[in-house]
Amino acid sequence: MTRSPLSLTINGESHQVMIEPHWTLLQVLRGELGLGGTKENCLEAECGVCTVLLDGKAVNSCILLARQCQGRAITTIEGLGDPDHLHPLQTAFIECGAVQCGYCIPGMILTAKSFLDECRGRQPTEPEIREALSGTLCRCTGYQKIVDAVALAARRLEAS
Amino acid sequence: MGFAFHQPDSVASAIDLAHRYGDAARFIAGGTDLIIQINRKRLTPQHVISLGGLGLDDIRETSGEITIGATTTHNDIVFHPGFQHQLVALAEASAVVGGRQIRHVATVGGNIVNASPAADLVPALLVLDAVVDLQGPAQARSLPLDRFLLDRGRTDRQVDEVLTAVRFARPPMQSATAFLKAGRRKAMEISVVCVAAHLVGGPGTGFSKVRIAVGAAAPRTFRATGAEALVGARGDDGTSFAEAGRLAAEAAVPIGDVRASARYRKLLVAALVERALAACRDRMRGAGAQGAAA
Repeated sequence: MTRSPLSLTINGESHQVMIEPHWTLLQVLRGELGLGGTKENCLEAECGVCTVLLDGKAVNSCILLARQCQGRAITTIEGLGDPDHLHPLQTAFIECGAVQCGYCIPGMILTAKSFLDECRGRQPTEPEIREALSGTLCRCTGYQKIVDAVALAARRLEAS
Repeated sequence: MGFAFHQPDSVASAIDLAHRYGDAARFIAGGTDLIIQINRKRLTPQHVISLGGLGLDDIRETSGEITIGATTTHNDIVFHPGFQHQLVALAEASAVVGGRQIRHVATVGGNIVNASPAADLVPALLVLDAVVDLQGPAQARSLPLDRFLLDRGRTDRQVDEVLTAVRFARPPMQSATAFLKAGRRKAMEISVVCVAAHLVGGPGTGFSKVRIAVGAAAPRTFRATGAEALVGARGDDGTSFAEAGRLAAEAAVPIGDVRASARYRKLLVAALVERALAACRDRMRGAGAQGAAA
């Protein structure tokens, strides 16, 4: 197959890429654009490490064709905050010690971001947080500190 | 692997492309199943035709009917204010499809045309006597969802037809729906068995309409018509819901697999049918009490 041009809006910036029609968004982010914060693992939408935001909503970039994202806003972990201006979720993950190996964390934080945006300032319950994160697997931490971190970020976002 | 990706600018162009390429083409909506099947090399389409951005993602409500566009996502169903009260089974079913990342992308139309016996939304639509709208190169047609689903992975859709919407009559105030799912864990799990029920209130403890649909317990999602007739004849007499569950279990022809044995699936059908009917009854009473209080 031959490559053809595609325009993608990622973290607010427009990117022109030459891609093959069957490439997933994950392949383009990591392989073409060097945005390695989005991780690759199961490639079947089971584990959630490849989660990015599409028009603000968490999606699995491993089973989304890049072509399906034309004209839509993509946010990766690189676009959420920077070392000097962390997002409240990132601060809460650090403070709660929610990170061990770290591989699931970009997907975990973006899944939580999408969920908290849907809560619109309402404080979610712990079961709601656990359900919201169910499509994003962590094999290190046992989840408790991740859930604590999301709850902490939710309280701070509600207060702010 | 490799295919040509087509982004048509109208439903008519999508149908033209599908007509031209026939079996070599596949429509893509959310793609949450299609891309996995392509990656596993179980499907090898030469052409993939996108149904995104064609305006098929709206939910239209009139006083008499509700129409759900084919590319409406499960997340849209969960958050739609119209799918509470009498229609809550739709939100209950869409809420347990995959995880959030899947629900943000996967569509109602995909859940139907995929014809998985474990599709969660299908039983909830079946109990509402839903009708599917299909558009082909020469004509549009509509048929009951119950007739559209033929077998595991097989529907009445022709290769050059697009399922554009699914619709159903708005149920009366004195009615209720319920959807229940058994999985091996609480979330991110394919149904071991799922059941939907719909009751419309009748005189006394009777019902003027009874619908029961069962998923993941036969090659296709099916209506438990024997159980429906029993509850229709006897109403809620204390034992009729449990007997309806047993009748539905007899009608089930489940497989045994890594998730559950066939025998266990039948036990689940009986239990979930009884509970779904009870949930409908309780919800109708709750709605009635609310109305009385107001």
